[in-house]
Amino acid sequence: MYRRKKDHKRGITYSLMLVGDAGTGKTTFANNLLEMGIFPHQYKIEAPKLPENSRVKVVKPTMVLSYNSKNGIPSHMARFDAACEHFEPGVTITSTSMEILTGQEQPSSRSSVSSDSSSMTQNGGVNADKIAFSLVKTHGLGENLDNTLCFDEITAFLEQQFDQVLAEETRIKRNPRFEDTRVHVALYFIPPTGHGLREMDVEMMKRLSRFTNVLPIIARADSFTKDELAKFKKQIMDDIERFSVPVYKFEVDPEEDDFETIEENQALAMLQPFAVMCSDERNDNGQFVRKYPWGEVRVDDDSFSDLRVLKNVLFGSHFQEFKDTTHNFLYENYRAEKLSSVSDWDVDKTGDSTADKRNSAAPSLSNFASLITTGQFKSSNSLAIPPRSDTPTTPDSREISQGTDMDSPGLRQVSQSIRRGNEEIIHNIKSSPRTSAPGSPDKSKLRNISETVPYVLKHERIIAKQQKLEELEAQSARELQKRIHDLEKRAADLKLRERLLRQQHLNGSNTSLSSRNSSTAQVAPVQSKLKKEESVTDLASIVSGRA
Amino acid sequence: MSSENIVVGVSNLPNQRFKIVSEQGGTFTLMVCGESGLGKTTFINTLFQTTLKHADPHQRRNQPIKKTVEIDVLRAVLEEKNLSLRVNVIDTPGFGDNVNNNKSWQTIVDFIDEQHDSYMRQEQQPHRDVKFDLRVHAVLYFIRPTGHGLKPLDIETMKRLSTRANLIPVIAKSDTLTAKELQEFKLRIRQVVEAQEIRIFTPPLDESDSPDPAVMEHARQLIESMPFAVIGSETKFDNGQGTMVPARKYPWGIVEVENDNHCDFRKLRSLLLRTNLLDLVLSTEELHYEAYRKLRLEGSGASDDQSVPVRAPARKLSHNPQFKEEENALKKYFTDQVKAEEQRFRQWEQNIVNERIRLNGDLEDVQSKVKKLEEQVRTLQLKRH
Repeated sequence: MYRRKKDHKRGITYSLMLVGDAGTGKTTFANNLLEMGIFPHQYKIEAPKLPENSRVKVVKPTMVLSYNSKNGIPSHMARFDAACEHFEPGVTITSTSMEILTGQEQPSSRSSVSSDSSSMTQNGGVNADKIAFSLVKTHGLGENLDNTLCFDEITAFLEQQFDQVLAEETRIKRNPRFEDTRVHVALYFIPPTGHGLREMDVEMMKRLSRFTNVLPIIARADSFTKDELAKFKKQIMDDIERFSVPVYKFEVDPEEDDFETIEENQALAMLQPFAVMCSDERNDNGQFVRKYPWGEVRVDDDSFSDLRVLKNVLFGSHFQEFKDTTHNFLYENYRAEKLSSVSDWDVDKTGDSTADKRNSAAPSLSNFASLITTGQFKSSNSLAIPPRSDTPTTPDSREISQGTDMDSPGLRQVSQSIRRGNEEIIHNIKSSPRTSAPGSPDKSKLRNISETVPYVLKHERIIAKQQKLEELEAQSARELQKRIHDLEKRAADLKLRERLLRQQHLNGSNTSLSSRNSSTAQVAPVQSKLKKEESVTDLASIVSGRA
Repeated sequence: MSSENIVVGVSNLPNQRFKIVSEQGGTFTLMVCGESGLGKTTFINTLFQTTLKHADPHQRRNQPIKKTVEIDVLRAVLEEKNLSLRVNVIDTPGFGDNVNNNKSWQTIVDFIDEQHDSYMRQEQQPHRDVKFDLRVHAVLYFIRPTGHGLKPLDIETMKRLSTRANLIPVIAKSDTLTAKELQEFKLRIRQVVEAQEIRIFTPPLDESDSPDPAVMEHARQLIESMPFAVIGSETKFDNGQGTMVPARKYPWGIVEVENDNHCDFRKLRSLLLRTNLLDLVLSTEELHYEAYRKLRLEGSGASDDQSVPVRAPARKLSHNPQFKEEENALKKYFTDQVKAEEQRFRQWEQNIVNERIRLNGDLEDVQSKVKKLEEQVRTLQLKRH
């Protein structure tokens, strides 16, 4: 309930994610959805020029939330560089927050704005309610040679949003300005192959649907004729059935829903997956069109594009539904899973840490603070094995981790020791409660969970982030090394060629100038050597600057 | 006696040649390559105006979703005005379909090399009048019409293909790009092709070779419109003037395949069949096959290992790296399992040792108790006495 109230105060949060292969029209869809040029197309610096949309106000400009790539650089805004096109772009997730005034909702969706906005008005809110809308976009999916990287990144991102909410909910003192960044709907853009789903589509949708409502969408539907489109839709639905992809289905409950809703949902279910074609260019009449030599396509024509229906579903009829399923179903599941895994862990471990008397006091915040300080202390002197971890299993694993420590470079060692410190904290947190108050185990456990879970989650996240950063750093270092190597090689090549040419030149003319020849030949290598040294130092300085 | 009046018959040579050619017919091997769902099959059928290859969705759909790249060879004989052309069409289904497409070009590259290799071996045989020739004369690489640029997968594959065969990049399903988008897309692809040093096939533009300015102009046009934007269709529609043409019928208009304003299909067909078929075949023979042959026979130490004997070049089949990866994964799994088991055993051992210590302790306890009791018994006995 508290969320509801918060919603009122700060407007409704709503978050939409666009996932799909590069070149399936995500950017165009976003521009079309907001009816303004907000995102630039790939390789372009400026967004397409469209008149400002007064209903939409960008609160936070596009920012990179998370990324992963082989060379360690987010690549979604990279300029077009023909010579570097063969580098894998990795994956980038960006988010743009904006405010949308629902009061002057688009006419198409206003007609059927359902319970959501009407309840708002009943509760005394003004009709011109704001939606804090955030648009999450993925870049570079499907462009890499190996796309498993993208999956992990996107799933990790979604999970992180859930974790944040979970941590916030279980906190004792809640942050009143906490922003709920969970993604409510993900639109998955299926490339218009005409052959059903690919391995990647199935995999990606399955992963997404753990954390959000997935709406499969046929991108660029203007590449299909009517028959082909019908066939493709059927194939996709078959495939979704066959591989049991849990996408969002417009289901009806004949007992609860009224007749209209049932009918509407059934119609939508029949229409799924929505076939969408998009454009961010208007013709003279202000309609969005795609201009072909053989005709003009109006993208909001209901007879072949489901764009209007989709907009309506997103902002009108199923707006609240998406939010509810995310919170009540997906998030609850996740929460139950996460919490039970934490408490299970506690139960498992109870047996072997009974000897541990140091933490026998009932857990409290001050106790936790002391744990943190000890943890930090431990992290500073890395290899000190804490005395209280003398349970049978731990020494082994500790030895192993030490072993791996030995052959890793210095930077890694430091971060690993930090991580060990973190693990220590978590270990302490997790193992501290079970010796407490045997009289009321359940109660203390609950309390304990509520106190520790946020921190556990936070630490896990920090660890994950650290690991990722390390990886990225290593990758970028490697990439730099490679490039430097390449450049040096090329420089050497050039030098060699230069010398060869000069020699040839000289040989050609040396019959007459044999005496001068020797002196110039001596000069040439010296010069080239000098140049090479210069370039090397340059590169070295660049590297050191980067590092 | 002026030489002009005497006709020895040398000038009939072209006619003789024509006869030979028309009796023997020709062979043309075309490979289509690109991600699935880009209309490769449809394009082949459109190009030869017959249903050479059936799009068979049912067969495709019963396969498991994780696919490997396959090679499909399809042979057909086309007859036109008494001239028969043996056409081999090679399809590469499954290319680019997986999540991890690293090295998926290997199968295709291996196939091309293999054809060169087998032809070379046949040439070295004592009887070589019947040669089985499946050397690829042209590779059509289908590019997804994203409007962005080329993907790393496209670039890597094209790089490798371009050194082995005549590569012709093609923008598939170009009816989803507006004229402006298409122009930008083409420009970008051309830039990438140039910067990445991908050699694509271009019709010869040698002034001395063909003095006919019309031919030159045509060739220049072809080069200008590379990469060709194509669409394919197997059905015919009325084009508004009463003739039935292959086209795609959308609610917003009819896209004609053979209309130069709509796509470059005619140009591509002209390049493939009408004007430059011979160039394709010859450059395969002279350029790519020769290069391969030289490489094999020289056994050039830089690229191949030295152990290959020069005279009888046994081509070492490069192992599919995907299998290698799988093998590594399996090995890793195995070692992990072993490690886990060992860990378990160590745990057991530990437990057993602990147990033994405990039992020993118990035993000692019992023994001391016994001793105590004995002591007591002794004291009691002493007391009684």
